[in-house]
Amino acid sequence: MTTIERERHRVIGEARLLAGLDQDLQQHLLTHGPLPELTREDYVQLCEAVGLRGRGGAAFPVAVKLQDLPARGVEAVVVNGSESEPASRKDRLLLTRAPHLVLDGAVGLAHALRAPHVLIAVHDTAAATSLREALMERDDQLAIEVRDTPGRFVAGEARAVLSALEGGTAVPPGRRVLPTRRGYHRRPTFLSNVETFAQLAVLARLGSRGFSSTGLISEPGTQLLTIDGAVQRPGVIETPTGVPLNTVLQYAGAEPGPVLLGGYHGRWLPRTDGVMLQRPEVSAGIILALGSGTCPLGEVTRVAEWLRSQSAGQCGPCVFGLASLVDDFARLTIGDPQGWHDAHRHLGLVPGRGACAHPDGVARFLTSALEVFDDDVQLHLSGQGCGRPVLGVLGGAR
Amino acid sequence: MNKLEIDWTRCDGHGLCAGLMPDDVLLDEWGFPVLRGREITAGELPDARRAILACPALALRLSSR
Repeated sequence: MTTIERERHRVIGEARLLAGLDQDLQQHLLTHGPLPELTREDYVQLCEAVGLRGRGGAAFPVAVKLQDLPARGVEAVVVNGSESEPASRKDRLLLTRAPHLVLDGAVGLAHALRAPHVLIAVHDTAAATSLREALMERDDQLAIEVRDTPGRFVAGEARAVLSALEGGTAVPPGRRVLPTRRGYHRRPTFLSNVETFAQLAVLARLGSRGFSSTGLISEPGTQLLTIDGAVQRPGVIETPTGVPLNTVLQYAGAEPGPVLLGGYHGRWLPRTDGVMLQRPEVSAGIILALGSGTCPLGEVTRVAEWLRSQSAGQCGPCVFGLASLVDDFARLTIGDPQGWHDAHRHLGLVPGRGACAHPDGVARFLTSALEVFDDDVQLHLSGQGCGRPVLGVLGGAR
Repeated sequence: MNKLEIDWTRCDGHGLCAGLMPDDVLLDEWGFPVLRGREITAGELPDARRAILACPALALRLSSR
């Protein structure tokens, strides 16, 4: 057996997705019980009853996605395990340490939809190895394939994943088509994130009432969060939906300071009091604490530079807009007021003008930075700077 | 219910659309189109079709949603 770097994880409340880690199939079935054979209508009803939303970031209602599929002829169920957000660890944790739960979710749904294929797109070897070892223990009566796809940021976008699975380049296509209508090989496809499938496996077993015994009334159950940055105990946490942000920050030992919610495409929060962690705000569940020892504008500029480098380079406003924004923020950081004006103008020119939501996500991140760090912006524009070094607590470009 | 739509993966910023439909398309500082986003009326359809055919990158489309 290969040594897999053990992902750190914790649980607040009841462990569901993380209830049985590192188990073989027999132990897994003892922990979770057998997977009931449900029909497509059962899945729609369950997902509707508990308001299950996709866990990849867009938080689209799973029941709506299921109902958009045609009555027959579903080609494939695709598990998007590319987890291209650099700070996110939750999907890798599930794939490497609870592969049977993810497979249960995908296989159960594929049987219900009568889809002949299950495809799992991953882009690290540990996840692929773990899945292949798990598959050797199972007999699912289905064609299940584990495929390595490229690791670029926008390559994790649903349609980019489909393109890569079909043997094309892993970039989003120019036409906005729904995978439920034209997905894998232009056939109806159900595609969702790894955690969504693990949730489906839990939901199928617990039923809507059991599933709803924890979390919010509007969106019951648990969620996986990844917390990183200026924290003593970084890693993945399973919590009930709607848990207060401050509880999670305290639990992870976060330094006081600004918090970025939702990852690099997310928003800086003006304050953490009273913030409940739920979709869509929590997006793919990434919480980054900045702490107070680093220069916020310098950190934001480093992340912006990394995001620029991750553009697929297909769409003009993304290519030119993100490059301009990085330059604007760099100038702003050294006290050039024109950088501030240009940043505001460019932030208005980028959203909604690309084949995918990358420019929109970058604009959201940078717009919230200008709002939340306004005091720092003023310090930098006054020419004296904030006096703090750029420590790189958020990652981003070196 | 017609609106102009751009396939951003195709658009290279030639700018012909802005010349042919100045009321509906502006160009940004990099030369890429900014759509006003309003409905194309039946009377404007011939102009819109001309602009779509003129696009060297076949990036401009009419969506009927």
